[in-house]
Amino acid sequence: MESARPQEDLADLLRRSGEGDREAFTVLYNRTSAKLFGIICRILPSRELADEALQDCYLNIWRRAGSFDPEISSPVTWMATIARNRAIDIRRLGAERVSAGSDDALDELHSLDAGPHAAAERTEKLRLLVHCLEQLPRDAKDMILLAYFHGWSRQAISERLERPVNTVKTLLRRNLALLKGCLDGSE
Amino acid sequence: MAANDKNSERDALAAEYVLGTLDKTEREDVERSLKTDETLRRAVADWQEKLSPLLESIDPVPPPPDALEGVLSRIELESGGPATANVVHLKRRLAVWRGATAAAAALAAGLALYIALPGAPAPQGGQFVAVLESKDQDPAFVASIDLTEGTIAIVRLASQPARGRSYELWALGAGRKAPESLGVINASYKIPVQQLGATDRASLRETVFAVSLEPEGGSPTGQPTGPVVFTGKIVPLSQGDK
Repeated sequence: MESARPQEDLADLLRRSGEGDREAFTVLYNRTSAKLFGIICRILPSRELADEALQDCYLNIWRRAGSFDPEISSPVTWMATIARNRAIDIRRLGAERVSAGSDDALDELHSLDAGPHAAAERTEKLRLLVHCLEQLPRDAKDMILLAYFHGWSRQAISERLERPVNTVKTLLRRNLALLKGCLDGSE
Repeated sequence: MAANDKNSERDALAAEYVLGTLDKTEREDVERSLKTDETLRRAVADWQEKLSPLLESIDPVPPPPDALEGVLSRIELESGGPATANVVHLKRRLAVWRGATAAAAALAAGLALYIALPGAPAPQGGQFVAVLESKDQDPAFVASIDLTEGTIAIVRLASQPARGRSYELWALGAGRKAPESLGVINASYKIPVQQLGATDRASLRETVFAVSLEPEGGSPTGQPTGPVVFTGKIVPLSQGDK
């Protein structure tokens, strides 16, 4: 994705896609599909399914581009939400393979602090979010990240972290509220 | 106090909705409410923005090179575009069905549209499709039979049976004295072709598939007890199989 171009260009491409402009839509696809595919691949283990999810997602983006409101969200967030939702829907239809790759998932999450996205490159928003996530108990932080990055259900989380499903729900809610408090408190 | 509780309950729902951890019923409830509940919509949008910085840390992955073609051909299909788009679209679908370990109900929507178009060309042999429909409704199931792989994949497109009821799939004709149950249809499933009994093309072409509405879990008697709601016959996908 070309970081030199501002997000306003994407909003314009979305607007034109909403008006039926297939060329604008193709440009939009070329500039955003790798990012969305990266998001989808973390949620769906099979490349064939990830491919289908990507196509479904861009079809939805095409259909709904006319309703995108730049006042409410940024283009990438809007598109990424469509991608995540579709990938999670498809994931829920299949059997979730909790044990396979789950240790990788947690290792990867814990390297969120180190790794290629070094602190210096992060946006302030990400730094704040990481800071607030760090304030949460370890299990709660893991749950949130497993769900967000990998699309895990309460059931899958419950199995991996060896906590009852209802506990997962309670912990999620309590800690999401704490997270919000930390994020809102810093504004 | 009550207002605060309601707010935090609504916010918790919004947060888990964005995270993706709501169960199916909760999710459907939220989606319904989003249509009319402005406060909920704002809460959901707020949570999306709050969590979106995490997306920064996800590395881009180049998608398959023909994915764009797939998207554009679907757009063409929707707008009733040229027939060439269909062949591309169908090729992709079949490749996915062979490889996918978990079929999604929506995957077949394009395939059904394709099959429904008269005179559509088809690329490969060994595959048959039955589109199950009723007079009054759009196609509801697609059964894809792959003789090379030896499987039948059933995909439900739209209809949901009423609570407490299940759809059950039957095979009729081709020498059968009575309808033969192929099992209760969940969102999607695959069964081995051998269960059909007949695997030669001629018998397959005489087979009629039917879906009946049964008590939850399927017919208690081994024969259809409820109304037959959808039927369909096999269509060969390749001209060479006629």
